[in-house]
Amino acid sequence: MQSTWRRARAVRWAVPVAAFVVVGAAVGAGPVIAAVQGDPALPDRTAAQLLAEVAKTAQHQQPPAMSGTVVETASLGLPSLPLPSGTSSSPLSLLSGSHTLKVWYGGDGRLRLALPGQMSETDVISDGKGSAWLWESATNTVTRFTLPEGVKGDKGKEAEAAHTALPTATTPQDLADRLLKAADESTAVTVENGQHIAGRAAYQLVLTPKDSTSLVDRVTLALDGETYIPLRVQIFAKGAAEPAFEVGFTQVSFSAPAPENFAFTPPAGAKVKEQKPEAAKPGEPWSKDGAAGHAAPGAEAARAGARTHGSGWGTVAEVPFSLADLSKQQNGPRGGGDPAQMIESVLKSAKQVSGTWGSGKVITTKLVSVLLTDDGRLFAGAVTPEALVQAAGRK
Amino acid sequence: MSTVETENSTSSAPTAADTPPEPGTGTATRGAAIGDASVAGGARSGAVARAAGAGHRDRSDASPGAARAVLRLVGSELGLTFRRPRNIAMLILLACVPVVIGVALKAFGSDEETPAIVTQVAGNGLMLTFLSLSMLVQLLLPLAVGVVAGDSIAGEANAGTLRYLLTAPAGRTRLLAVKAVNIGVFGLAACAVVAVSGLITGLVMFPVGPVTLLSGTTVPIMDGVLRVLIVTGYSAVGMAALGLVGLAVSTLTEVPIGAVAATVVTVVFSQVIGAIPQLGPVRPYLLTTWWSSFDGALRDPIATDVMGQGLLVFAAYALVFGAIAWGRFSGRDITS
Repeated sequence: MQSTWRRARAVRWAVPVAAFVVVGAAVGAGPVIAAVQGDPALPDRTAAQLLAEVAKTAQHQQPPAMSGTVVETASLGLPSLPLPSGTSSSPLSLLSGSHTLKVWYGGDGRLRLALPGQMSETDVISDGKGSAWLWESATNTVTRFTLPEGVKGDKGKEAEAAHTALPTATTPQDLADRLLKAADESTAVTVENGQHIAGRAAYQLVLTPKDSTSLVDRVTLALDGETYIPLRVQIFAKGAAEPAFEVGFTQVSFSAPAPENFAFTPPAGAKVKEQKPEAAKPGEPWSKDGAAGHAAPGAEAARAGARTHGSGWGTVAEVPFSLADLSKQQNGPRGGGDPAQMIESVLKSAKQVSGTWGSGKVITTKLVSVLLTDDGRLFAGAVTPEALVQAAGRK
Repeated sequence: MSTVETENSTSSAPTAADTPPEPGTGTATRGAAIGDASVAGGARSGAVARAAGAGHRDRSDASPGAARAVLRLVGSELGLTFRRPRNIAMLILLACVPVVIGVALKAFGSDEETPAIVTQVAGNGLMLTFLSLSMLVQLLLPLAVGVVAGDSIAGEANAGTLRYLLTAPAGRTRLLAVKAVNIGVFGLAACAVVAVSGLITGLVMFPVGPVTLLSGTTVPIMDGVLRVLIVTGYSAVGMAALGLVGLAVSTLTEVPIGAVAATVVTVVFSQVIGAIPQLGPVRPYLLTTWWSSFDGALRDPIATDVMGQGLLVFAAYALVFGAIAWGRFSGRDITS
C-alpha cells in the first residue's frame, strides 16, 4: 500500500516534469526544424561567381517587394551609455544591446522602417512619390523630407539616405552595399554554402581582412540563394566567438506588403517639421544623435579639416576635435541624452598614450579605436590603438 | 484524508480514483474532522454543501450533470472571491487609478517633459485606458492576481476548510481546475475594471475621437475600442499565467500570506532580472517581459508576431505551473 502510494506520487510528479520537457523542446526545436527543413539545395559557387550573379541581379532586376523583421545586435564593448529611460526607440539606443526593426519594401521607392519601443515607435516612411516621413511617437513629432526629383522612385534611396549617417546601418542591404565596395585586394573572400537565415537557404560571403592592424577578424554577409537579397551581416572582432555587430532578418517574406504601410498622414496634434532636400543629407536628424556615441559630435565643423591615413581595413580618419567644442554643443540634446555626460563616461575608460607628436587619450572598443590628442585632433579607425598612435606620428 | 475515504466507501468509483487513499493518521484526523465539522466557517460551509450537492448530482446522472456540477462549483468559488471584502477593495483601488490619472492630467496639464503618450490622453480619452493599463500591468494588477492565486489553496488549508471541500466527491483535479478558472476570471475582471474605468473617465473628462496609434496612423474610434478589447484580453491572459504560478505556490504551503508573498516576489524578481542589461538573453523567457507587449495592439499593422509569442510564453508558463500544481495537490497529504 505504502509503496503503491509512493509510486503513484512519483508518476504524478512526472507530469510537471513532462510539461517542462515539452516546453523546453518546443523552445529548442524551432531553430533545429528550420535547419533541417530547407535542404541546402543551392549549387556551389565561388566568390567571383556569386558576386557576378549578385551584380547581374542587381543590374537587371528591381529588388523584390518584401517585408520582414530585422534584429540588430551590437556588443561593441562600449562603456555602457547613460541613456535616459524611456528612449528605447531612440536611434542612439541601437549602439548597444539587441533591437528589432520591422521592414516593409514595396518597390518603386516605397519603404517603411519601424523601430518599436516600449509604448513608442519610430517610423521612417517613404511613399515613393517624393516625400519621406520620420515619425517619432515618443515626442509626437513628424519630420517631412521633400526629396529631389532625380532620386524619386529609385530603390528607396531617399529613406536610406536619411539612414546612412547612422553608424549602425539598419537594413542588411544598406550595410552589404558598403561592405562590398570595401572588398578589394586587402581582403580574402570565401563563400560558405548551406546557411539558413529566417528559413531561407543562403550563401554566405566571408571577408577576412589581410591587414594585421585591423580589429576586424572577419565579416560575413549572407545572401538569399534565390533573390540575392542580403539577409544577414555579421562583424566579428579579433578573438571573439560572438559577432560584435550583427544585423539580419529573423523573419522575411517576399510577397508585396499592404500599400497602406507606405502612406502617411501626420496625425492630428503632432508637431510637423519640414526638411529641405539639402538638409536631409547626413547630419540631420539621425547623425545628431547617432554620431554622438561615436565621439564625432562637431560633425559640421570637423568635416572641413578631415583627412584619412592608410587604406583598406587599416584606414584611419583624422578630424580636428576638442572637448571645448563639445561643451558648446551641450544644449538641445533633444531627448537623446546629454552628449557631454556621455562623452565623459566614455572618457573614463580612456588610456593615456604619448609619442613624438605629443600625448592623448585612447578609447578602445571591440571594433573601433579612437585617439583624442591633447592638441585637438581625433583619430578613429577599426584598427589597434598602436596603429592610431603611428598615424598620429605621421604628419 | 480519512474523511474522503469514508465518503468514497459509500459513494462512487470515479471519485475514489481521483482521491487516492492516504496512509497514516486515520483516527486522529477523523476525530479532528468530526470535531471541526460543526464549526466550519460560514461562507465556506455553503461552498462545501454546494460541492457536496454537485457530487451527488454527478453520481445520479452522467456528463451533462457533471458539467453543471462543475459550473455550480465555479459559481460558488466566484461568488466567494467576488464577495470577499479584500478582493472588492483591490478592484475598487484598481478602478480608482485611471480616475486619479485623468484628474491629475486635467488639473495639472502636461509640460514639455511628459512623454507623448501622456499628452495624447488630453487629446483623446481613449488613450487613458492604454496609459492606465501600461502603468498597472507591471505591479498593481499582478499584485491583485497574486493575492487571489496565493490564497486559493493555502487559504483553504489555513482556514481548515480544504478538508471539507475535499469531503465532497468532487475530486482534487476538478477542485484545482475550478480554482484555476476562478483565478483566471478574477484576472480578467481586474483588467476589465481598469479598462472600463479608463474608458469612462476618458469619455467624461477628455474629448474622444479617432485614435492615433503608436505608428502614427489614425484609426476610427470603433477600431480604437476594438484595440482596447484586444489589450484587455491579452493582459488578462498574462495575469492568468501568473495566477497559475501563484496556484502552484499555493499548493506548496498552508500559509496563504507566504504563497501571496512568494508570487509577488517572483514578479519583482523577474522584473529586476529583466532590467539588468547583462542578463539580456534571459529576458524573452521571463513572464514579466511579455506583459507590456500589449502595446503591439497599438501599432499598425498589429504586431501579431510579438503578441503571439507573448501568448505562447503565457501558455508555456500556465502549462508548466499548472502541471506542478496538479502534481503537488493531487498527491498531497491534506492534514488541515
